[in-house]
Amino acid sequence: MADRSASITSQFTGAGLGRSSLIFWALVGGLALLGGLLGDSYVRHIFILVFIWCIVIASWDLILGYAGIFNYAQLVFFAFGAYGSAMLSIYAGLTPLLAIGAAALVGAGIGVLVAVPSLRLKGEYVALFTFAVHLALPPLIQQGRAIGMGGNTGLLGIPWLNLFGFQVSSIDKLTWYWVSLAFGAVCVYLIYFVILRGRMGLAFIAMRDAETFAQAIGVNEYKYKLLAFVVSAVFTAVAGGIYAHYTSVVTPKVLGTEFFLMAMVMLAIGGMGRFPGAIAGVFTVVIGNELLRSFDDYRLLLLGVAVVVTVIFFPEGVAGAFKPKPPEKAE
Amino acid sequence: MTQIVEILLSGITQGAVYCVVAVGLSLVYGASRILNFAHGSLYSLGGFLAWFLVVGHFNLPLWLAVLVAIPILAAAGIGIERLIIRPLRGSANWKINTIMVTLGLAFIVENGLQLVFGPGTKTIPPFTEGVLEIGGITLSWYRIWIFAISLGLVAALEYFLSATRYGQAVRAVSQDMQGANQVGVNVNQVFSLTFALSVVLTGIAGILLAPVFLVSPLGGWAPFLKAFVIVVLGGLGSTKGAFVAAFILAILEAFVIFYIGPSWAMPAWLVMLIAVLMIRPKGLFGVWEN
Repeated sequence: MADRSASITSQFTGAGLGRSSLIFWALVGGLALLGGLLGDSYVRHIFILVFIWCIVIASWDLILGYAGIFNYAQLVFFAFGAYGSAMLSIYAGLTPLLAIGAAALVGAGIGVLVAVPSLRLKGEYVALFTFAVHLALPPLIQQGRAIGMGGNTGLLGIPWLNLFGFQVSSIDKLTWYWVSLAFGAVCVYLIYFVILRGRMGLAFIAMRDAETFAQAIGVNEYKYKLLAFVVSAVFTAVAGGIYAHYTSVVTPKVLGTEFFLMAMVMLAIGGMGRFPGAIAGVFTVVIGNELLRSFDDYRLLLLGVAVVVTVIFFPEGVAGAFKPKPPEKAE
Repeated sequence: MTQIVEILLSGITQGAVYCVVAVGLSLVYGASRILNFAHGSLYSLGGFLAWFLVVGHFNLPLWLAVLVAIPILAAAGIGIERLIIRPLRGSANWKINTIMVTLGLAFIVENGLQLVFGPGTKTIPPFTEGVLEIGGITLSWYRIWIFAISLGLVAALEYFLSATRYGQAVRAVSQDMQGANQVGVNVNQVFSLTFALSVVLTGIAGILLAPVFLVSPLGGWAPFLKAFVIVVLGGLGSTKGAFVAAFILAILEAFVIFYIGPSWAMPAWLVMLIAVLMIRPKGLFGVWEN
């Protein structure tokens, strides 16, 4: 049994939802203003990546940190969202916003497909199975050349986002900044403030911290674990869709070492299951990664070292180390 | 007909080496309940170590390279256990944290190898040339050798576990860590020992297969996943199970590669894993562990 206190207040205990929502949206508003003030399009680009990553990491935190399911196929959901949205808009001519919505459905389907075998497994077996799915996907994408997945070179020329008849090109960083911020903020709000504070979040934490007890009081384990996969996959697929239309290129690189390591470092530094840790981790790692660009040869090695060192020295995330310790439980 | 026999033979020789990787993985999991995600990257480490000793710098014969590599690999195993596994023991979220650090370690080893040796693949000449030919069926002597060495390693491990005091300590810890601790088994020493043995086994497998396949920094993931599927099918902690499962799965793989194509090998392993989990989740011989 995980020996940690549930670090979330639920809508049922009602503690401070309004107040923390207010703080959240005030910060989002601040970021929106900041986008206008930042003149440099490179800096805007970094923030756009941050906002997209926030969705991925919040979804991963939901399943790994809150539901306690060791899922390592998160980037698989991202890849399906990106490829799904790209292919639907290129081949089926869907307008990108619709394609992203459809990609969310694709994500839900993939979530179920990954979940069904995973739910027969326990603990680290889930980690290995899901990671195996992650590793097996790039060769399949190469085979997918036949159905127009572009093989190794990936898909190029993915249509730009079309907002109410207005084309948003990749070069228009300011609009993209606001679009990705809006998507990111809504997704993160839904994950941390609506879903995790609701019935589902309570069930997740109950299953994570006291599995047998949760079952005894009637939490349907299968249903909620399946839901954790589906919800997490849907949001991540949306992030993948946004990414595809922003960069207008998708290659099997989205399943490469760099993305995977970055995601791991974000969660390790931020700490799992302790909002806003993971989100802080995203900001730290994306910005840190850009600052490390000059050490390009050593960057991946350093990311690996960062995972190991943070987990050993800050097993609850860097943010967790500064929090006051919860009061000791009375025996 | 000869074709089918040749595919079978290739599967059988391959299976013996997979078995070595798998028992190494299962040994550590059995004793300390840690699924070492860096197991495959340590397989690559073995291959590169051999390349360094045989081709890159010292021109050692391959058998001597294996002997030199064993203490280095054992030291690496002990170092890993001491430096990154032991500090986590007993901490909250122990399970997820060990997954994170071993995955992180895998990427460190992988990228470290890439930095030191370059991203390209390396090759080592086998220590014996020539093929055995019986009735139109050919099999290279080298494959026969690695088959024999692998069987020898698995047999030696089985003997160690069943007949020596240290081996009994390993089994005691596997069955009941606290109980073993109470009767005076030095649990930390057992953990170090299993890590050392595990890294030596996977490293030697990496060396043995280096002349057959190429050595590459990313080349360890495939053997790692295969070893895992074998361990699951065989049943955890069962050397006998791993032995049987390795041959079944390697032969299936050989047929998939021949009739469908090599790029389907990994998806085929994944399908085999799902099939095993659906049909017999506790494995052929094992007891399902929670």
